Amino acid sequence: MDEKKVVGMAINEDYAKFIYQETRPEDVLEKPEALDDIVVLDMSYGSFAGLYASSLLSELGAEVIRIEPPEGDIARKMTPYGKMIKDAGLPYIVEARNKYHITLDITKEEGAEILRNLVRHADVLIETFKPGYMHSLGLGYAQLKELNPRLIYCAIHTYGQFGREAEKHANQPDYDLNNQTRGVIMSITGEPDLDPEVPQEYKRPLRQGNWMGWYVGGGWAAFGINLAIFHRYKTGKGQFIDCSPPEGLFAISNYLFQYYHMSGRKMVRAGNYDYAVFPYSYFKCKDGYAFLSGFTDPNWAAVCEIMNRPDLQQQFPTIKERLTPENQPKIQHEIEKWTQNYTSEELLEIITEYSRRPDKKGTVVTGRLEEPKDTLQREHWKLRHTFVEFDDPYYGKILVQDSSFHQMSRTPGRIKWPCRPIGADNALIYKKFLGYGPSKLEELKSKGVL
Amino acid sequence: MGSDFFQWASETLGFQETFLKPEALNGVRVLDVTAVVLGPSAADYLAEFGAEVIKFEAPQGDQMRYVTPYAYFWKNMSPGLWEQQHNRYWVGMHLGNPKARELFLEFVKKSDVVLDNLTPGRMAEWGVDYKELKKVNPRIIQLHVSGFGSWGPWTGRTSYDAIAQSMGCLSYVTGFEDRGPLKSGVWIADWINGLMCAVSIVAALNYREKSGEGQFIDQQQVENVIRMLDWTWIYTYLTGENRPRAGNRDLAICPSDLFDCLDGWVAITAFSEEEFRGLCEAMGRLDLYEKYRDPLERLRDENARALLAEVAAWAKEKHVSEVEELGDKYGFAATRVLEVDDVYNDEAYRERGSIQEYEDEMYGPFREPCYPPRMSETPSRLKWGARPIGIDNEYVFNKVLGLPLEEIKELERASVIYKWNPDIPSTCPPPDWDGKSGVKFP
Repeated sequence: MDEKKVVGMAINEDYAKFIYQETRPEDVLEKPEALDDIVVLDMSYGSFAGLYASSLLSELGAEVIRIEPPEGDIARKMTPYGKMIKDAGLPYIVEARNKYHITLDITKEEGAEILRNLVRHADVLIETFKPGYMHSLGLGYAQLKELNPRLIYCAIHTYGQFGREAEKHANQPDYDLNNQTRGVIMSITGEPDLDPEVPQEYKRPLRQGNWMGWYVGGGWAAFGINLAIFHRYKTGKGQFIDCSPPEGLFAISNYLFQYYHMSGRKMVRAGNYDYAVFPYSYFKCKDGYAFLSGFTDPNWAAVCEIMNRPDLQQQFPTIKERLTPENQPKIQHEIEKWTQNYTSEELLEIITEYSRRPDKKGTVVTGRLEEPKDTLQREHWKLRHTFVEFDDPYYGKILVQDSSFHQMSRTPGRIKWPCRPIGADNALIYKKFLGYGPSKLEELKSKGVL
Repeated sequence: MGSDFFQWASETLGFQETFLKPEALNGVRVLDVTAVVLGPSAADYLAEFGAEVIKFEAPQGDQMRYVTPYAYFWKNMSPGLWEQQHNRYWVGMHLGNPKARELFLEFVKKSDVVLDNLTPGRMAEWGVDYKELKKVNPRIIQLHVSGFGSWGPWTGRTSYDAIAQSMGCLSYVTGFEDRGPLKSGVWIADWINGLMCAVSIVAALNYREKSGEGQFIDQQQVENVIRMLDWTWIYTYLTGENRPRAGNRDLAICPSDLFDCLDGWVAITAFSEEEFRGLCEAMGRLDLYEKYRDPLERLRDENARALLAEVAAWAKEKHVSEVEELGDKYGFAATRVLEVDDVYNDEAYRERGSIQEYEDEMYGPFREPCYPPRMSETPSRLKWGARPIGIDNEYVFNKVLGLPLEEIKELERASVIYKWNPDIPSTCPPPDWDGKSGVKFP
């Protein structure tokens, strides 16, 4: 690769080159995988928390077996505007990576028995049913650990597996939006409550635009499973993991709880303002929006100097003036008068040039508020293999985001295949683990077990 | 589902026996060279599951000592610091000092993980990058995280949470249909990146159990936001269109939206046939079930809008709790929007251990979230909160490196290590501190 592209804006070029050598995308497939001794049964149903958790494990090399009911996981039908590619919606294609797809009806006794036999070979089981459902089929952790005490069993559900709320709402399914509503972060996300220019109808809680409840929930589940695997190396013991996505969200809600504990006060929706750091916001510019920040006193001085607005620095000299809900819209509008004269690229140039001045007063940071179409074109992401294109024999030409772990120097994460049709791996998996040949599979199929 | 299951789960997972159980990362020592939110959050996740995290802090202190809502401080402490700094050991030492480098490498010999979120290459400038670390300890796992990683055209660009939210397109897809893009109410890109850092570190520990080998991990903040945007990229790739903002409506699941009730908001979701039928029954509108039975047909834009309008008109006449109860009865998802005090004050979360209470030696009783998931054998726990700069210097240098107190004093006299600055309150102990509470040694 062109050396200039490797070193980019690095402060230490040798460092950039060394790390490039250690993490070259071209070398990924030649390296070992961190979890290649782990077999995962992913029984999740209608939940991208479960699917994302098993994606993370599969990227790290685990052998993930997706167990769907004979008609397929309803998660396959969760797709924007109903857009399908054959038997899979777009989100499912993104989170089916590296997984073997088999079918099994666990509500039939013969199906339950087959699951028990698979569990004897498994290290991890993931499920997202209503709490207690697996238990009622005789397939809960308490029952399965008798067959395999090393089993790590991870259940994911909005309300968790025990406690007053779980008991009360045990008949409700788990969905992203509902996880977000119970995750506290949503209560303070949305248009700014205290800005008089915002129409009343928009002053309401707002979800994060992606499936953040499910993805954060799945991320915590994968973390817990990795911790349990580590503990098992030391002790040989499996365990039960109870992952509630809303708890995963409110545990990362900044200082909301700490501030409430200390002061007895709550935060309000701040929109693009921030009552702990400002300016630290999106500003309209010629070609959309750009982020710009300079919130400590020296950095704010630098912002004012770049804009040639010493009056603003005098008017809002310390964080006490800059962190009030009344002043932030005023500061926002003043800065916007300036940013609207430039494109996001021009702003980056002006600020980068200022940052090289020996007499600069502080650090100002900027970046474009990108649109997905922009992002797919950026050279940085192309060179770092942030996205992977496949020409799949079944699903055709598609693109998915690469593993979060693809730059581990020794055991990089990877995607081997994007997705498989319903039941496509029945022959392989049932033969490999349970020795079933074609006639046995045919028999199970005719009984509706597979 | 029988109450015996909940009884069993409560006994297996409940908070009550937490301190009788082992910690998953017991014996794992982490050298934490991070500041602000992203890096510290990763170290925090490890610390609450039992890792011994030693934080090395610069003389002016972690930036979060100065980032706090409305410039509010409590007993000199910034809530912005406390939020991601638990169970740690606090050392004041700047690795740019040559003597400090030498000492740091001694720590590395006795540690498992080194974590930094400095400008990429800064550790190399100081001679403590992976190339050097693995010479003294080939088993070391080093993770570096920055906005754009350690190499590539954009390496070296400064990043913050909001850069990652905006350049990773999370903000582009967050907001109402006819309004502009919005940031999350929290520094979500920091926290979720910390989570991916923590997952990759534990995966590397797992690999080391088998192979004995350490490794280097490069994480890019913006890239991890990109990873979590579900169908955004494949949609743009196939259609050539940007994914639109849709407020609270889920464009891939219908119905799923936030609705106005008489006394607040409620989120309703019902996608499977059984759930959707349940919702229509609860509404007394089985005609809607017949009309929109096929979930894929329901997702077509005009159908989705028509159906959501029907649900909205129905919910408007109901109280939030009524809709939640109907969800329980008919098997669809119906949830209110919880605020911080709803969770803080609800005992149910303390029974689960997702909110924990503890007595901090320096700051008194505290109550706050403890990281998920809940684990039956190795539950997470809170022991103590944030601390003044350098308060554990003596404990750490004595315990880990075996230095006698006299030598530690010498290092302080030579300014290799240091404590809080009395002129900057938010680096200091509480004003009424007795001079010994919270000091671990001597």
